[in-house]
Amino acid sequence: MEPLIQMRNLEKVYEAGGSKFYVLRRISLDIQPGEFVTFMGPSGAGKSTLLSIIGMLDGSWTGEYYFNGEPVHRLNVKKRNELHKANIGFVFQSYHLIDNLTVFENLEIPLSYKNVPHKERVSLVCDILDRFNIVGKKDLFPNQLSGGQQQLVGVARAVIQSPKLILADEPTGNLHSAQGEEIMELFRKLNEAGTSIIQVTHSERNAAYSHRVIQLKDGWVVSETSNAARVV
Amino acid sequence: MGTIGQDIRFGVRMLAKHRLTTVVCVAALALGIGANTAMFSLAEAFLLHPVPLENANRIVALVYSPVGANGTSFGQDQSPVAPATYLDWKKEAHSFDEITAYAWDELNLTGNPAPQKVQAFKVSANFFETVQVQPQLGRMFLAEEEEPGKDQEIILGHALWEQRYASDPHVVGKNIKVGGKSFTIVGVMAKGFDFPKPAEAWIPLSFDAKERLQRDSRWLFVLGRLKPGVPFTLGAAEMQSIAQRQTEAYPDTNKGFRLYPRPLEEFATGDLTRQYTFLLLGAVGFVLLIACADVANVQFARVTGRQKELAVRTAMGASRSRIIRQLLIESILLSLAGAAFGLVIAQWWVYLILNHMPPEVARFIAGWNTISLDANAFLFTLAIAVASGIVSGIAPSWLHSDTQISETLKESGRGASTGPSRHRLRSVLVVAEIALALVLLVGAGLLVKGFRALIVVHENYHPESVLTLTLSLPEDQYRQKPGRAAFYAQTLERLAAIPRIQSAALATYVPYANGGGAGVTPFTIEGRAPEERGEAISSIVETVSPNYFRLMNIGLRGGRELNESDADATVPVADISRLVATRYFPGENPIGRKIKIGKVDSEGAWMTIVGIVDDIHYTWINKQELPTIYRSYRQAPPFYGSLILRAEGNPITFVPAVRSAVAAVDPDLPLFDVLPFDKVITDSIVGLAYVAAMMAILGLIALVLASVGIYGVMSYSVGERTHEIGVRMAMGATSKDVLRLILRNGMSLTIVGMAIGLPLALGFAYLLSSLLFGVKAADPFAFLGLPLLLAGVATVACYLPARRAVRLDPLAALRYE
Repeated sequence: MEPLIQMRNLEKVYEAGGSKFYVLRRISLDIQPGEFVTFMGPSGAGKSTLLSIIGMLDGSWTGEYYFNGEPVHRLNVKKRNELHKANIGFVFQSYHLIDNLTVFENLEIPLSYKNVPHKERVSLVCDILDRFNIVGKKDLFPNQLSGGQQQLVGVARAVIQSPKLILADEPTGNLHSAQGEEIMELFRKLNEAGTSIIQVTHSERNAAYSHRVIQLKDGWVVSETSNAARVV
Repeated sequence: MGTIGQDIRFGVRMLAKHRLTTVVCVAALALGIGANTAMFSLAEAFLLHPVPLENANRIVALVYSPVGANGTSFGQDQSPVAPATYLDWKKEAHSFDEITAYAWDELNLTGNPAPQKVQAFKVSANFFETVQVQPQLGRMFLAEEEEPGKDQEIILGHALWEQRYASDPHVVGKNIKVGGKSFTIVGVMAKGFDFPKPAEAWIPLSFDAKERLQRDSRWLFVLGRLKPGVPFTLGAAEMQSIAQRQTEAYPDTNKGFRLYPRPLEEFATGDLTRQYTFLLLGAVGFVLLIACADVANVQFARVTGRQKELAVRTAMGASRSRIIRQLLIESILLSLAGAAFGLVIAQWWVYLILNHMPPEVARFIAGWNTISLDANAFLFTLAIAVASGIVSGIAPSWLHSDTQISETLKESGRGASTGPSRHRLRSVLVVAEIALALVLLVGAGLLVKGFRALIVVHENYHPESVLTLTLSLPEDQYRQKPGRAAFYAQTLERLAAIPRIQSAALATYVPYANGGGAGVTPFTIEGRAPEERGEAISSIVETVSPNYFRLMNIGLRGGRELNESDADATVPVADISRLVATRYFPGENPIGRKIKIGKVDSEGAWMTIVGIVDDIHYTWINKQELPTIYRSYRQAPPFYGSLILRAEGNPITFVPAVRSAVAAVDPDLPLFDVLPFDKVITDSIVGLAYVAAMMAILGLIALVLASVGIYGVMSYSVGERTHEIGVRMAMGATSKDVLRLILRNGMSLTIVGMAIGLPLALGFAYLLSSLLFGVKAADPFAFLGLPLLLAGVATVACYLPARRAVRLDPLAALRYE
């Protein structure tokens, strides 16, 4: 089976004052469709940067990156955005819901950027509200929700466009343990339903939900371990 | 479409959330858009619809422009045409369907009801056909009515028909008395038709045999209607070549004048009105640009504060164009709100403009009746609102794409830091605002000073105690010179006898009256051949009573004033103004020299120069005084003249006594333009007063907007540098150090803006000084006082945020993100 993500010798470097500072070094990895992968490592290891590159939010790097067989390194910005829009959903530690939009409107946002017709958007949002049990919150603004509820909306927003891949950067970092566990359970179910997930986390407990843990340090991949004790 | 609705909904929500900045932006845009809409309404009336004719764009005005020996234009630039020239054109021109002529005339309607003077025009029989307008009642003039003796028909204007003849539907065919003669009413024009402005009636234009040969007596305005498919340039070129042939054939009369074909709309509006309209359009454009710069700065701050939101949108799949669209929609919503309030402001401007113009002045202004906020003004407002939204929103939206999305989304990211390009652009905007505001302020200052200079000039006349009134003696009744002279002598005697009237005088042209319309007339100096054949030696020719000079405080500089003994039987004499002496008698004493009005072989008598008097201004349009020759009213009694009275007290209270005194000499003679002299002067400069007042208001708005811009940028800068200021204070910086830091930043932008604005303002000042009397380009008030004012306001605008920075708690500032 063709890997969902294939990277070869991917590097990212900052130049400052004539000297180079490497953020990622010779990253080569394959992630299969349906896989749940965790990036771990100390602060500054390059985890979030790698996640941004996978999510195609960052285009300034060298090397080869294939997504679902498409050579991302050869695509222009427009094509890369199209690929990202069609296949990837994001979940952030600070939820990053838009303050001035209601829950309904926040969920509608990714669909409108895909030019989904209005009727279909409403239908999809209603489905997802129902699926995540947040119908009663649809007219509330983010500041009227708890952190857990906000992250639930954040995940729902990532899922609404049925992405092949969800990228989650410290998705439970701002939540207490019970809420965190609820979100991770949600990820597990999504993964079981076929969605690939890559998360960045410092939590061993969250890492336990993934099939594989990739350790990064100073921009290098230092280890890859399959997760025998995966939460199922 | 659905997604645009979503963007609009969100935009409205964002504007409502940031109420204060929204109010500031809407106010700035409302001021800018309102001024532009009002000015558009004026420009539309003056430049696009100055005449009430459907086919105005097919009509060409064929006027002359006097030129000096070196080819430069001087004097009034739209001179009329002589009858023989007009008749030649009618025969020779092929580009026109019709060529027609008209001439100004004033009629005394006598009989019942009371005598009334009306503004009439003598028009060729084909005049109405040329402008393609039909009378509402009756008919147009017939070709045979152009014959002398068959020309006693009249067509009434709608207003005159309503007011004097009570809208009588059977008025056509009736006879009325016009200047003592019987005229037949043959038609009534439709409501609103008053072309040539301000026509109240039309009578046939006829030439006697002598007039048909006249080439040096120019009193006709000629219009030609282009044949279908013939462009203006072709018609103009044909007329130029005909005029060139005429100049070669008749150099004595035609050299010194150049044909100046103009589209009718341009001719009707006049160069000065067009120039001032463009000046004000430019000024309001500047104000709008300053407002847009203000709003752009606010938008920069907003976008910077929303970097995370925009990064999230990008992560959710928003393309760059969608983000730009979202931000532009917000910006356009802001300017549409500004436009809504702007329309209210524009309505107020238009109300002020229309209601402060004296009706006796307004009736002469082409297009004045059509000034209103019409559908075009609404469309224009909508267009500039959208354009302003794009102008003020495009840079902030565009620069958003500089943002590093992944960095912004990182949890540890500092978030709302701004890139150097954004800082630079915001600084550029402030600098541009300062420069534009300075140009406007200097322009406004110079116009106000020019206006004041005119007022000062007038103070010499003490116009507040002078009454002026005009009369026109019927030609049939006063055909003989002695009869006219006797009428004036008796009238002046009776007027002077009115208690508390200090003196009464006669003059053919009252300075500043009728738009300063004292035309210049060629004259000849005895014993001197013109240096070049056809070179124009010309002057205003006044006919005055001897006490005119003292009444008007015009000083005698040599020789003697005219006196009552300069009568018909004595040697013809004249006084001349200093300019005639210096221009035409350089290095010699003109007293005793002889001059004649017209050419050396003209009918007029040689007049001996007996005195030199001070120059006076006849109109504010001319930067310099015009040469003037004064004749004695007893030697050259005019048909048309003005009586001028110096009174003790309010001159208007003397009007009944004055009317009685004139009626005692001739009860059928209507008096018109009965006005205090100060009113004549203010009416004559009301156009300039309008421009000066509008420029002053625009300058003030520019000053306020520029200071708001500086305040906004400095305030934002303080907010952005709070952490830095905290660190500096923790490192030992004193309040003074912090104050200096912020002020230096703001003031350096102000200085750069002023350094750019000053040369631009100087260029603008030179332009204005070439237009206006009393305006000097290098004016200390404009180039020292106003920049200092701007710098002062900018200092305050910088100081307020700086004071906030000084009051920061260092610990709180250090914790600030």
